[in-house]
Amino acid sequence: MIPEVGHILLITSLVLSLFGGLGPFILKKDLPTKKIALVMFLLVLGAFIALIYSFLIDDFSVAYVAQNSNINLPTYYKFAATWGAHEGSLLLWILSMNIWLVGFIIFDKNKNKYFSDIVFGVSSLVIFSFLLFTIFTSNPFDRILPITPLNGADLNPSLQDIAFTVHPPFLYFGYSGLLLPFAISISAMLSGQSNQEWASSSRPWTLMACSFLTVGIGLGSWWAYYELGWGGWWFWDPVENAAFVPWLLSVALIHSLLVTEKRNLFINWSLLLSIFAFAASLLGTFLVRSGILTSVHAFALDPERGLFLLGIFSFFVLGGLGVYAFKNTIKSQNSFYSLNSKEFGVLLNNVLLVILAASILFGTIYPLIYEAYTNGKQISVGAPYFEFIIFPFAILLGLVQGVALYLSWGTTKSFNFITKLTLESFSVFFLTLLLLFILFENLIATSFFIIFIFSWLIAGSILVNLRFNSLSTYVEFINRRIGVLLSHLGVAILVLGVGVVSSYSYERELILGPGEGIKFQEKEVELLGISNSMGSNYISKKANIRVSTNKGGFDLISEKRTYIPSGQVTTEAGIEAGIFRDFYVSIGDNLEGDSWSFKLQTKAFIRWIWLGALLITLGSFISSIKLLRKQA
Amino acid sequence: MTKILNILPLVAFGVLIVVLYSFLTQENDQLESVLVDQSVPEFELPSLEDPNKLIQKSDINQLPALINVWATWCIACRVEHPFLMKLKNQSTVTVYGLNYKDSREKALKLLENEGNPFEFSIFDQSGKLAIDLGVYGAPETFFIDEKGIIRERHVGALTEKVWKEKFGKYLKDKADA
Amino acid sequence: MLKKSLFVLVIGLSFSSFSAELVQAESQEVYPFEDTLHEERFASLLTELRCPKCQGSSLAGSNAPIAKDLKKEVYRLVKLGKTEEEVKNYLIDRYGNFIVYKPPFQSGTYILWLAPLLFFLITIVVIAINRSSFSRESDS
Repeated sequence: MIPEVGHILLITSLVLSLFGGLGPFILKKDLPTKKIALVMFLLVLGAFIALIYSFLIDDFSVAYVAQNSNINLPTYYKFAATWGAHEGSLLLWILSMNIWLVGFIIFDKNKNKYFSDIVFGVSSLVIFSFLLFTIFTSNPFDRILPITPLNGADLNPSLQDIAFTVHPPFLYFGYSGLLLPFAISISAMLSGQSNQEWASSSRPWTLMACSFLTVGIGLGSWWAYYELGWGGWWFWDPVENAAFVPWLLSVALIHSLLVTEKRNLFINWSLLLSIFAFAASLLGTFLVRSGILTSVHAFALDPERGLFLLGIFSFFVLGGLGVYAFKNTIKSQNSFYSLNSKEFGVLLNNVLLVILAASILFGTIYPLIYEAYTNGKQISVGAPYFEFIIFPFAILLGLVQGVALYLSWGTTKSFNFITKLTLESFSVFFLTLLLLFILFENLIATSFFIIFIFSWLIAGSILVNLRFNSLSTYVEFINRRIGVLLSHLGVAILVLGVGVVSSYSYERELILGPGEGIKFQEKEVELLGISNSMGSNYISKKANIRVSTNKGGFDLISEKRTYIPSGQVTTEAGIEAGIFRDFYVSIGDNLEGDSWSFKLQTKAFIRWIWLGALLITLGSFISSIKLLRKQA
Repeated sequence: MTKILNILPLVAFGVLIVVLYSFLTQENDQLESVLVDQSVPEFELPSLEDPNKLIQKSDINQLPALINVWATWCIACRVEHPFLMKLKNQSTVTVYGLNYKDSREKALKLLENEGNPFEFSIFDQSGKLAIDLGVYGAPETFFIDEKGIIRERHVGALTEKVWKEKFGKYLKDKADA
Repeated sequence: MLKKSLFVLVIGLSFSSFSAELVQAESQEVYPFEDTLHEERFASLLTELRCPKCQGSSLAGSNAPIAKDLKKEVYRLVKLGKTEEEVKNYLIDRYGNFIVYKPPFQSGTYILWLAPLLFFLITIVVIAINRSSFSRESDS
């Protein structure tokens, strides 16, 4: 009964979204958009709750529940399993889009109803197309009748983890949030809204979407680190790149909108980036669900669904770019900006971000291009390529960001700050090297460049060189610009984390039997023993490891789990987290008796990467909320 | 000029969509073998049937032939087994077996129970010859032509359909020649 | 009888403590190397080689049977003193370029490596055209 209710709710919202989508364009009616948006949201929410309910009561007559759940699955995973595969995660996407739309309708303070109506209309159309796709090709409420399975297949064991309850929702919120800047740009072009108005409408939503994308990607990285068992935190996997590309474009968009709002410039940049960012988000969805890319993240789907998604992508992207080419009522004005202005800084920033995004996208799909071009030959494009590509961009972007906050609109009066900035950078640089030397008793030359960029970014974030009358004025300044400063500081910290972890990490793979030990990185590592253990849906072999120095120590557990319903085997790593260094143990293979292979690692400063991501998330979120409040 | 610039993004994405569409309609889930047009690599491994007998590349002499990578732990191999038996019984082509990372006992038992479609099987317990052939799982089948050159590799169970579409043409060439 | 068993017990105990000490001093590397150069080369190769059967994992990150076999093969080659290039070529000869994460720089992949430069040039051209058309407008 409940699944049918959910199905009906979806169909109702389908009809409503079509109505809402066509209203402003074809019917040209003055619609009660607030009410429609709220009703649509409640309908989709109802469907989503119906799906969750089916999971919680173990209703295996619903095919999706049978494929992704199991009687013995812990309850909180039954809840999260709702988005464990294609159909359910699609419903989460749709729900997120509805939430953004409701947010816009309620909080956007734009007085031009025509403008708001088109934003509503475009968004409804997007929601409509996703609902159409879901209902016709990916219905989560399909039933298995008349013979209902007694038990389900179980949620994929790699997903049975706490991070799975947060990573997809945040990430999907980020992806789908780019819907609003897209809809706003279309509306701007069609409604003739002033640039200052539409850009200021768009900026808070873009910031918030970027914020969610940042934390979503950060959570993915953190999860991969402790789940996959071998210490990596970014793999340039196609699906990871599919999230990184819209992130880069959304960052460029935020800065472009700033210039459009404040200086009435870069209008075409802002319009195009709004379309490109959403396009990248849709492209990501297509790549992951069409089956054309190989990835641990990819949903195993058929090309027919891929075709439908490509259709959605084509309709909105070509539609948006078509409006840009032929129906754009915005007249671009020429205003001069000098090379020493903040505007030019943003231009540099955006050029670099867009080229980087395009290159990463190109590299990700290149294996497919190559295969088509050479009639079957295959290559891989992986980390060595992407790391090679990103390095010059990271350096250039870092250099620009360091000075950016010191530049002024129009013309920067004096460049004296550069000298001071350089001095401050070198101070931070040497202090950091000193810290690293104290911590690791080693200095590695290959890390110097990145550490200098970090120092440059720090000096450029704390902004002590702007003239302040007193300490309290400085504090007040920091407070006022806290969002901006936190995000830029976050970038600095992330850069430091990346730089240090790649140079100061160590690893060893060895065999230990119970009672055996080894010295690794100044610590004694001993395998205390192997014990057998059980969870609600798995059995495991636990390795108890003791790590000690003469000052003390800690115990770690690494497990080899065999999940009973599926037979799948996973490795859980034992990690001692530290602000300066993680100690990482993962169990390998059983060699004979109770002897197992183990991988020991120290990862230096790895937490700084996620700390940086967190600061960027916080900073952009704070800025977003401030802007929304200011609108009133 | 500005007009052209305005249409440029539209055109660029149009091209991208066409490219993506072509990827969707392309069907390839197998790694193509890079050993195509090369001869079978040299090797010296014991035979499955007789542990004292060493087999070399020169023993693969009834050409054209198939080299079939199989193991008792491989489920799809059970699926293709009847078809291999058919190939043997109809003397369509000689099939040589490459027993991959298996237990000799279990393998011999299986051949005894289900029939032996192979002229003989090479016992590659370490998987060394398999690596030299670029094998990455079982079952896989290589077509070797009358000159001892590898013409194609199929990953997955060998069925009537695969035979017709992939390998049959090499025998036809020979028949026509 | 008692003396014999005591004798056996004493010998047995002394042997076990002896072996425990021995084991504390050296636990076995899964892939032992004599020097760090080879050890690092091996570790580096494992992250740069792709598992042919997996969903996009490197040899380092995969426990698939073929990944394990290839790890052993890489170990054998590194122990023989082969360079990174030689090990990679050995595997490319058998599995094709798919098995290395770094795409080759050859006909068919030039455009891949030069793409960022190409995009950069396109962007510069577009911006220049834009700026020039603006100044033409303001002149007229």
